[in-house]
Order: sequence, then C-alpha cells, then structure tokens
Amino acid sequence: MLIFGDWMGITHRLHMALGRARRLAPYAAGELSLIERARVEADLERCPACRREVEAYRLISQALQTSPPIAMTPGEASAFWPSVQRRIRRGAVSLSRSSHPGFRELVWDHPRLSFLSVAAALLLIIGVTLGQSIWWTAATPNGVEVVSLEAGDDASVMLFQTPGGSLKVIWVFERPSSHPGS
Amino acid sequence: MFRQMGGPDGPPKQAQDERNLVERARGRDREAFGSLVRCYQGRAFNLAYQMLRNREEALDVAQEAFARAYASLPTFKGESSFSTWLHRIVVNLGIDALRRMRRGGIATYDDTRATPEEGEQELQAADDPAATLEMKQVRELLVRGMAKLPAAQRTVLVLREVEGLSYEEIARLVGCNLGTVMSRLFYARRRLRQVLEAHLADLR
Repeated sequence: MLIFGDWMGITHRLHMALGRARRLAPYAAGELSLIERARVEADLERCPACRREVEAYRLISQALQTSPPIAMTPGEASAFWPSVQRRIRRGAVSLSRSSHPGFRELVWDHPRLSFLSVAAALLLIIGVTLGQSIWWTAATPNGVEVVSLEAGDDASVMLFQTPGGSLKVIWVFERPSSHPGS
Repeated sequence: MFRQMGGPDGPPKQAQDERNLVERARGRDREAFGSLVRCYQGRAFNLAYQMLRNREEALDVAQEAFARAYASLPTFKGESSFSTWLHRIVVNLGIDALRRMRRGGIATYDDTRATPEEGEQELQAADDPAATLEMKQVRELLVRGMAKLPAAQRTVLVLREVEGLSYEEIARLVGCNLGTVMSRLFYARRRLRQVLEAHLADLR
C-alpha cells in the first residue's frame, strides 16, 4: 500500500515536472481546446492526484463565480453621486497615483524577479571588477632595474632592463645647446 | 462588460440612451453625468470591492473612477461602451489602491458582509443548507487566500472568475499580453488551491 502511495506521488511529481499541471486549472475552468482537453483527460486517467487538483480548481471557480454581488447600503448609494460631485468640483484627484506601475510597485509585485535582478547585477559587477584586476595584474610589468647611468657634458645615458634581463633599454637624454646659432 | 448587477437606476435600457447621456455629459451636462453615475455606481462599487475587499476603499475607488471619467470625457472617443471604459478606470485605480493599501498595511479583507443575519438568510433560502454552508466556508477561505495574492494576479483572477471576462478582454483592460494573463491566472489559482488543500483534506 505504501509502495502504491509512493508511486502515485511520483506520478504526480512527474506530471508537475512535465508542465502538464499548468493545464489542469484551465481544464477545470473549461478554457482548453478540444485537443488539449483530450490530452488532459488521458493524463487524468493515470493520475489520481491530478484529478484531486482538478476538483479543487472546479471548487474555486464555482465558489468565485457564484459569490453574490456586493451591494452598497442605501446610505452609501444615496451619498455616492454627491461625493462624486464634490470630487469633480475639487478638480484635483485625491488619489495621486498613476495608472502605470512604478519601480516600487514592480518590486512589490515581483519580489523574486527583483531579487534575481539584484543578484545578477551584483554578479556582473563582481565579474567585471575581478576581470579588470586580473587583466591589470597581467599587463603591469613588475618594475624595471637601472643597470647604469652616465652623465656627460652633452648628454646622459641610462641603461635599464626588466628583472629577467629579457629586455634592455638604452635611454639617451641630450642636453639642449645653449647657443643655437653656433 | 460589467457583471450584471443593478445600481439604483440600473443600466440605460438601450445603447442609444447611454450614447445620448454620454454625449450630453461630454458637453458638461452634470445632470446627464449624474444619470450615468446612478446607472453604473453599483457595478463600479462591486468590481472595486471584489478587488479590494475593503468597503471604504472600494467606495473611494468607485467614486474616484467617476470623477476621473468626468474629467476625461472630452477625450473619450466612444470606441468602446461607456461601461467598458469606466471598467478600465476602476481596474487601474483598484490596482493602485491595492498596492497602496499593502504598503500602508491596510487590510484587504473585511468581513462586514458576513453578518450572522445574512448568513442565516442564505442558509434558509438554500435547497441544500449543508452544501451552502460548505460553499460559504470555501468562499471565506478563498477571500483570505486572495488577500495574499499580488495585486496583478488578484486583479486578473477577479476579472476572469468573478466578472467573467475573456482572456482577450482582460489583456486589453490590464494592458498586458495574453501569455501574461494566463500566467497570472495560473499562479493565482494554484495559490488558492494550496489554501484550500488543507480544508479539502479534512473533508475527504
């Protein structure tokens, strides 16, 4: 019996994983095409948990669709138009809200999406920073070593090399002539 | 487009009557606009209440919707009916109100309607009191579950299940595509099913 119960659970989880569960609520609400209905019905024959889900979705639709309309009290109804008139006279709209959701509303309505966006932005920043630091480390020479420096009357000569000695540079500083015409 | 429910005057008997009233109201005839308000105030309030589940806020949203409709009437092109256009204003204000209420910690569930007298009358009128009581309990659970849904999901659910609008109509009203409507509906229904599961398990 336990094995049978587990098997039912596994079947249900498999259906969920395959995304078929997404069709159960629209099936219960009668929103699927004939072909899709047939597919779901074939699934339902094999999946008791799915059948229970469909029952629950049907109950939800039935309860919501048959909920009695809410009426205003006679007092509320008679005060309604005078209140609207006062608002019209005021001209300004008391509820200073736009019909388009702002950033705060989006964050409020989609916390998971907002969290993922922030996490992605942080990862991007960390990635770029790390990449730059690695690049700078690779590109920057580890210093140079001055081998000799000789100063003459007309010029100075400096010889320096990289630490391994793989690159040697001779730098000549010429002293400008004090008498250009001579 | 509004779910059938009468205000004090009910909807105008013919579309022509409504068009005449709208035309006069566009010319700033307050009396004509007052007639439109009396026709549709009950429906506007009901829609706002289904979305917000808070009487004061629903009244505020419904009244504000009419005030905004009056201000925007000169730009109303008449491509849809007045009631559809008003419906859209109520939905947009309702979504904004839901978000504002949640930020302010205002309850989006009140049980002012579930007075003992009303419950008793409903049970007495029912053919099957046990089933009616059961359905009443389910509705109460659902209302509590809906209070926890994000504003966008709750709005789509109300428009679909309570107002009976098609996916296309909801997409137009809310300003999103069909896929988004279906996705929001799926998550809203799944959440409500989870709310009901414990209750249903007790019944089995």
